[in-house]
Amino acid sequence: MHGFLTIAMLVAAASASAQWLHYPTAGIPRTPDGKPNLSAPAPRTKDGKPDLSGVWEVLHNRPCPANGCDDMWVPQEFFDIGWSLKGGLPYQPWAAEIVKRTPPNRSGDPNSRCLPTGIVRMYTTPLFRKIIQTPGLLVILNEREVTYRQIFTDGRPLPVDPQPSWVGYSTGKWEGDTLVIQSSGFRDGLWLDANGSPLTGSGKITERIRRVNFGKLEIEITVDDPKAYTKPWTVKLTQLLAPDTDLLDYYCVENEKDGPHIVGK
Amino acid sequence: MFGRMILASTLFAAVPASAQWFKIATPGTPRTPDGRPNLTAPTPRGPDGKPILNGIWQMNGKYLQNIASDLKPGEVPYQPWEEQLFNSRQNGAGGRQDPAAKCIPGMPKLDALPYPFKIIESPGMVMMLFEGFTTFRQIFTDGRELPKDPNPTWFGYSVGKWEGDDWVVNTTGIKESTWLDNAGRGHSDALHLIERFQRHDFGHMDILLTLDDPKAYTKPWTVKEDVRLIPDTELLEYICVENEKDYEHLIGK
Repeated sequence: MHGFLTIAMLVAAASASAQWLHYPTAGIPRTPDGKPNLSAPAPRTKDGKPDLSGVWEVLHNRPCPANGCDDMWVPQEFFDIGWSLKGGLPYQPWAAEIVKRTPPNRSGDPNSRCLPTGIVRMYTTPLFRKIIQTPGLLVILNEREVTYRQIFTDGRPLPVDPQPSWVGYSTGKWEGDTLVIQSSGFRDGLWLDANGSPLTGSGKITERIRRVNFGKLEIEITVDDPKAYTKPWTVKLTQLLAPDTDLLDYYCVENEKDGPHIVGK
Repeated sequence: MFGRMILASTLFAAVPASAQWFKIATPGTPRTPDGRPNLTAPTPRGPDGKPILNGIWQMNGKYLQNIASDLKPGEVPYQPWEEQLFNSRQNGAGGRQDPAAKCIPGMPKLDALPYPFKIIESPGMVMMLFEGFTTFRQIFTDGRELPKDPNPTWFGYSVGKWEGDDWVVNTTGIKESTWLDNAGRGHSDALHLIERFQRHDFGHMDILLTLDDPKAYTKPWTVKEDVRLIPDTELLEYICVENEKDYEHLIGK
């Protein structure tokens, strides 16, 4: 996490010389002055479904500190995925214990060890992700760790007893203009935010994604994980289109110096 | 690297019993009367008549160990400094210099990994999703030029175009610290990589890899790598940093 500063400087330095980061995205509607018209209607694929493809970033809903914004400007959900819920997330007692602790006593964040973010934190990292919608398969390419997630839309059922994994197994189907994604098969030990809100291997996640206009995705995420939470809960996230740019490669482990200084196990 | 590979292949063998997607029937696969994939059926083609490269593929594993394994001794046209560097890395010496040892795969070695990878064509861009390191390449097919002076990256910048039935991918801007193979061959910042994908039938493809790097090699040289289709399965997850125990045992700095 602390490495963010260094990486942000890298990102800033890269923009100057790597022309593809200023490459015009094909198919973006533009205003007469050439700027992307992000409030234009959502694009659609040949079969009439909304096309979720694009490079997406977080909605900056967290005020900057008095001395200016961090290079990596994280949203509220980065720290607390349930920040918008009255009373917060319905933690089971053991989960509430984790979240109550403050660093450095709150240890065990996979991100601190450069392990994968999992599918919820993929939406709250200030780095970019890119959605590519193809027939039968939606792919989310993740700038962080240069990794990906596959969401099968070819009608296959979720596997019944899969090998647990960091991103789980995901299938999607359209309900009107909303893509509904069901995921399960996670490994134990995932965190949903930096506060430590856990996800266990028994967790199931539903995402309902809607492209409300050219520049905006609304994602409703429902987490049903009775081992960690007393009842299912739902939060809404917004993702904004990042036009005329592309993903860089970001490796947490590159020149990583934090590990030895992290306390806990 | 070596340790992880053995571990990963053990995992690979153990998984199919419980994870059903690894035994899923790939739609569109031609089959013999007994239901088995017919891997010698003709190359599938799109409406434009070009071969379709979509599918899950697996590289012959020998090229990761030695990218020049089909060449005769003396056929790799090293510049003297590159040959010296290569020789200094023999028998695992300098293992720590390989970024892949720190879980950063990088090109061109990424292409030679013996784990399955998936090619997905989409408008303007072809994705390669790799099981190894759970990572990806983007190869742009929207007609853009390679950037002139890009910030070097682990994967470089890639554009693809058709030349007859060959899909030709040009890549530049690869960080000079990446390795070509486990044998320890390197390259310079001038590396221009040309990959020629040739799908011969449903189940078989060659990748002709040309390394054009005048700083490290006296002339361009080419290797032919064979790739086979892996039907009726899916990619697994491979997280290199998870429980990583190799690096401390590697030598070099």
